[in-house]
Amino acid sequence: MNPATALSLEQTPPLLVPLRFFLTAPLFVVVAAGLLLWAGPAALGSRWTPSILAITHFITLGFLAMTMVGAVQQLLPILMASPVPRPRLVSTAVHLMFTAGTLLLGVGMLTNQAELFAGAVALLVPGVLVFAAVVAYCLSHARSSHATISAMALATTSLVVTAGIGLVLAAGYGLESFHLPRNLTDLHLVWGVFGWVGLLVVGVAYQVVPMFQITPNYPAIVMRWLPRLLFVALLLWSAGQLLPVSYRALMLLGGGVLGGGYIGFAVITLLLQQRRRRRLSDVSVNFWRLALVSLLLAMLLWGAEGFAPVHRNELLFGVMLIVGFAMSVVSGMLYKIVPFLVWLHLNNHLQATGCWAVKIPNMKQILPQRRSHWQFWLQFAAFLLMLAAVVWPEPLTRVAAACLLAAFLLLWWNLLDGVRIYLRYTRHPDG
Amino acid sequence: MNSEAERFLDVSDLEPPEPLVRALAAVDLLEEGQYLHMRHRREPCLLYSNLDQQGFSHLTSASAGGFDVFVWREDDSAAKQAAHAAAGKSAEG
Repeated sequence: MNPATALSLEQTPPLLVPLRFFLTAPLFVVVAAGLLLWAGPAALGSRWTPSILAITHFITLGFLAMTMVGAVQQLLPILMASPVPRPRLVSTAVHLMFTAGTLLLGVGMLTNQAELFAGAVALLVPGVLVFAAVVAYCLSHARSSHATISAMALATTSLVVTAGIGLVLAAGYGLESFHLPRNLTDLHLVWGVFGWVGLLVVGVAYQVVPMFQITPNYPAIVMRWLPRLLFVALLLWSAGQLLPVSYRALMLLGGGVLGGGYIGFAVITLLLQQRRRRRLSDVSVNFWRLALVSLLLAMLLWGAEGFAPVHRNELLFGVMLIVGFAMSVVSGMLYKIVPFLVWLHLNNHLQATGCWAVKIPNMKQILPQRRSHWQFWLQFAAFLLMLAAVVWPEPLTRVAAACLLAAFLLLWWNLLDGVRIYLRYTRHPDG
Repeated sequence: MNSEAERFLDVSDLEPPEPLVRALAAVDLLEEGQYLHMRHRREPCLLYSNLDQQGFSHLTSASAGGFDVFVWREDDSAAKQAAHAAAGKSAEG
């Protein structure tokens, strides 16, 4: 299917299906930032401190995965014209399992209690499996083919791999008789960030960058082959990591292709954005640019480390990838997807009730523009402060944490404005 | 093409949902015998169900440069004829 052809917007699921994920996600960053504020500079001692492990998982599972799982449930039906079966039930169950599982995992990491790890596993594993089963079901019933769909399939496979490795790691924490295989943490991180998050961002970018940022389409060859190339590179890197030392060349090759592929993606997207037809100030574009520049810098840093597991600058690398790249791109997507969905459901509601004369607020009226730009600068400052806090933890950790907390509280408040508008118009269509 | 009959709207540079909003505002102003000729870079599928519900008919012609959508009131046969003629020319062009 040509990317310029239609989306099946009539297949859109109920608003609450994705929205419950989008509204929960920023609160997990508030919890993570609160924890960093409480733990202070000691948390940034290494990537193995209990506080940093809990903070990382509150962010990666609670914010990133939470948002992305919600977005996929919204995008699958409209991209493939293949609705999720029982969307309300699936979304309620997955949301509950991810929310409670992430909380238990984070607290388990902080307090090192085996029962909490067991509880987290009992919730997160079925959560991931139900989500993966829904993606597989929709794929098998797909009535269109698009590069975004195959990227989503590869991303979801990567999520299952990440969760599988996570399960082994959790067993290492939870069971005293089980030796924790620490080298698996690098595989867990690489599959999570470059597989699940990275591939999904690439696939979704094929849709949202040309559509919402009014740019030309990505080159067809990039759309078709980049996600597959990145996935094969992940397999090569993992083989190099698991096999004996004589196979280290595989890791170098896989890492080189991964680094080169993501650098290529970032450069192409930045160039496409240079060719936007309308150069209006847009908070979502700002977030995308911040994310892509962070991705470029992270990949250059990784190249400097020889594409091996990063140990010298591990926290710097993590902050660039997770806070700079992943959190920025997800915030940027939320600023488009939430007002668009509110508008779409208001339009559907007014159509269904025959109230065509009622004027629906436009996208810029649904989310407060000025506050959204303020939020961007606050999140940007939080990212720079987090980078600086890795180098100078003593004076800066708590300042960075406070800034991050404020940024995500404001993001949550801004998104709530969209819900308020929806409720106001559905209850009193005259405004 | 009868320029009296055609109302032209280029929404190629607008982000969703602005093309749909402008198209619905434009069709509301169509007079007897007039049709809307909308140019867009993507196929506006959500617009179709809105038009169907509000009593408008439509015809789309796709080309390498994008999509030309022609819309008229379903009970306006003169507008329908003019829109079909214009769509034919657009497809040839």
